Amino acid sequence: MRKVLIHIILILMLFVVYYLQSNFFNWFTIAGVMPNLFIIYIVFIGLFGNKFMGVTYGILLGFMLDYIFRQKVGITALSLGAVGLIAKLFDKNFSKNSRITVMMIIGIATAFFEIISYIASYIVFSTNLEILAFTKILAIEVIYNIILTVIIYPLIQKIGYYVENTYKENTILTRYF
Amino acid sequence: MLKKNKVGILGIIITIIILIFIVIFSNVENNTSFFENVANKLVMPIQNGLTYLKNKINGNDSFFTDIKNLKEENENLKAKNSQLEQSLRELENIKTENETLKEYLALNQKYGEYKTIPAYVINKDISNYSKTIVINVGTKDGIREKMTVIADKGLVGYIVSVTDSTAKVQTIIDTSSAISCIMSTNKDSIVCKGTLENTAELRGMYIPTDANVIQGDSIETSGIGGIYPKGIHVGSVKNISSPKNITDRYAVIETAVDFDKLDTVLVINN
Repeated sequence: MRKVLIHIILILMLFVVYYLQSNFFNWFTIAGVMPNLFIIYIVFIGLFGNKFMGVTYGILLGFMLDYIFRQKVGITALSLGAVGLIAKLFDKNFSKNSRITVMMIIGIATAFFEIISYIASYIVFSTNLEILAFTKILAIEVIYNIILTVIIYPLIQKIGYYVENTYKENTILTRYF
Repeated sequence: MLKKNKVGILGIIITIIILIFIVIFSNVENNTSFFENVANKLVMPIQNGLTYLKNKINGNDSFFTDIKNLKEENENLKAKNSQLEQSLRELENIKTENETLKEYLALNQKYGEYKTIPAYVINKDISNYSKTIVINVGTKDGIREKMTVIADKGLVGYIVSVTDSTAKVQTIIDTSSAISCIMSTNKDSIVCKGTLENTAELRGMYIPTDANVIQGDSIETSGIGGIYPKGIHVGSVKNISSPKNITDRYAVIETAVDFDKLDTVLVINN
């Protein structure tokens, strides 16, 4: 029952994230650059959910975004799935209790996602390779995502531990030692 | 624990304030007038109040008299004001509707030779690296893939996929977009591609070595490629790069359409 409730909460959160990203953050930009809330969302699920949750949500959300916005389906699904995977790797190797660590994880995940997407788009659509412009946008996006993480970190932690307690009841003690 | 919580909340509030300032400063073009506005907004309410008091004390003997009449008058004025506000709201609705209809009419007159379907932009891309838009017409309205989409001032893009009630448009500023164009003065052909650097500019590539590119020259679609009809205005030449190797030169083309403010488009049907 609790697991069903968690999925309902996560799906509701997804809609909030989608509408924030496509309406509010479309104009609330830093030098014209938007943050990417979907990455924060998937990293959050990857860190606190069970083994496959981050990857599954990443791939499903990626497919949804691909169907809505992209010409070819797959690139975002693949990239967000990979973000879910690396979030799980971070979960195994780092502590989530430190705000700095979570900020670092978000920064790395953002860069990882955008670089994979950009390389995939370059291969599939033969776009011009604009490394300087890409790096500039990416740097601002990473900073923006980190700032947002600082703001919503208490909320992430609260919901996250609720999710974690449900899914990892047997292994949760490691967090306290 | 409480102290730690308080510090945490304070940190979050400070971060939000800093974020708001970063967003404002990074997007405001003319900072001088912005500062003027902020300074005015800080000072003027108090200044107005002080001036009001000064005027009253200096010149008006009946300032504290006839309060009852003033109250009645105030009530009447409030009622009148709410009526006027209601009318104003209705008028604003009519004005918006009128503007939209005018826009449609202007578009239809400009591109009268084409049979067109009007549409609204209902969603813009959520990524910093691609620039597709979603419009509110679909197969039910006769929209098909590869139809050309235009706006008041020129070319917007083409339909890449359609659902029953929406269509996805790849705009010309998307980095995966490439349009075959001609320069209107000398009729030399170029290929215009979207760039990451600026959402209001295209890069005109593959310029023939003997072509004379003129600044401000109008760029139009050539009709080659099978998607865009010939002669649709794309933009104008802003400047030309001059590298050592002439085959590498490219023109920066300013798009005719302002994609940041794009909300009404026409889909060419034939």
